[in-house]
Amino acid sequence: MPNAILDPTGATRLQKKAAAPRAARRASLAGARVGLLINTKQNARPFLEEVGRILVEDHGAVITARHTKLNFAAPESQEVIKDLAAEAEVIVTGVGDCGSCSAAAAADSVVLEAAGVPVAAIITESFRTTVEKMAELRGAADFKYATTAHPVAVLTDEQVKARAASVIGDVIALVTDPSAAA
Amino acid sequence: MTTEPPVLGDAPLADPAEVRRAMEYYAEKGWTDGLPVVPVTDSYLKEFLATTSRDPAEVLIPMPHINKHLTVRLAAINAALAGCLPEYFPVVVAAWEAFRADGMVTRSIWQSTTGTAPFIVINGPVRTRIGVNCRGNVFGSGFRANATIARAIRLGAINGLGLKPHVLDQATQGTPAKYMCCIGENEEDSPWSPLHADYGFAAADSAVAATVIRSVLHVEARHSTAPEQLAFDFADSLCRTGALVRPLAAGYIVLNPEHARLCDRAGWSKADLRQAVYELGVKRYGELRRAGKEAISSGTHWRVPIEHPEALPQDVLDDEAPVRLIDTPEAVHIVVAGAPNAGVSSIVETFTRLEGPPAIAKVEERP
Repeated sequence: MPNAILDPTGATRLQKKAAAPRAARRASLAGARVGLLINTKQNARPFLEEVGRILVEDHGAVITARHTKLNFAAPESQEVIKDLAAEAEVIVTGVGDCGSCSAAAAADSVVLEAAGVPVAAIITESFRTTVEKMAELRGAADFKYATTAHPVAVLTDEQVKARAASVIGDVIALVTDPSAAA
Repeated sequence: MTTEPPVLGDAPLADPAEVRRAMEYYAEKGWTDGLPVVPVTDSYLKEFLATTSRDPAEVLIPMPHINKHLTVRLAAINAALAGCLPEYFPVVVAAWEAFRADGMVTRSIWQSTTGTAPFIVINGPVRTRIGVNCRGNVFGSGFRANATIARAIRLGAINGLGLKPHVLDQATQGTPAKYMCCIGENEEDSPWSPLHADYGFAAADSAVAATVIRSVLHVEARHSTAPEQLAFDFADSLCRTGALVRPLAAGYIVLNPEHARLCDRAGWSKADLRQAVYELGVKRYGELRRAGKEAISSGTHWRVPIEHPEALPQDVLDDEAPVRLIDTPEAVHIVVAGAPNAGVSSIVETFTRLEGPPAIAKVEERP
């Protein structure tokens, strides 16, 4: 006798994640305490350090936290997120240039945003789909992030600096809102 | 003029439109690995769940970061979908347990560009009970238990864990082993103790070893006459530069019975072969340099060229200087499988060097 086919994904049994809150934006980065969440992928550190240098020298920010992920493939623990939220008002993270680390960057970003910290995640163009899927799973379907061309891992020091300079506008736009009260 | 092929007297009647309707439904939902699946209803699921004492709600693989948990129930639905018979299900459960103990799946390895496949080795009496192939064509195809137990893991990953290719599974190329890489050890034709017995299980237990692998390499050594020659071939294959993303090499040697007997006749144990492969597990610095893998990155500890911005400072060595790539005999595991009919073995390249023994789980026996 015919019977209904079962769903092999378990989707119907899962609670839909509530929409994740997004942090309030600052009007500018002048005086802002900025943290770097470095995922250890090749060239991630020099890339984020250069972004940080430009934010400090050209936009008046202060770097107050640097955290290196122990496992680039996994989202950070609640303790790390709590520490970062205490130490910084804005986080820049990346560089998502692989499957698991890009998804993890999206997950970290959504959690940090919910903790009240605006985030600029930098991802290479190749990993848009997985970032957006992860953000959606985390309740942030409209997640915004900065992209740079793939790959980053093979760039020289000079090329990394040029790339960092080229995403600065997007990074600032992601974490600020000029109409916000200063 | 056309003639209808003869109808076999014992062939069941089928309604092709109805069969197609179910098949296409699964395909449209994206609930397959590309091949047709077996429709699973509640009554069929119950037959699978009846083979285990596990609670259907028990979590076999927790993946909280993607809001997914593979339960016994989901593992069973996907095993049925894969074409397993209900009596295979305790082996599938043991495989998932071994993957959890192995630790790479829960650490997001199946979201990675590496594109690793599940690799499963089955030992013990369950092999003969459910018809696991341990002999010729051991890597496939043609054997239902091997094919569908492996597929139960892939469908569990795609459906149960939501790791869909192009979306959360970002494998650059993947590997054909993702379709099927489940072997039985040919314990009957092996001169040595079986894998599970080397790690504390009784030979009369049934057990499943599991890990994630990059590839399966063919090693032709039909005319080798000494175990030293085999050890060289295996070490050379394990240490190929293309396998090196991490600093060290590691893997399984899936030894055919003829090679195992050659070793045994020369008085070599499994431990002797592992030791010999370990001792030969070096490459020349110049070979690593030519492949751009002579240095180690400060961030990921992966192999990079010495001029990479993140390369850790190191001495530039003479091109002839040896660099050790197999750092312990324990980086190499040995399983005997295949037909005793030619000197053809394989290297199974694991994702990374396993710390400690391989992950092995016992298959539940119900009285």
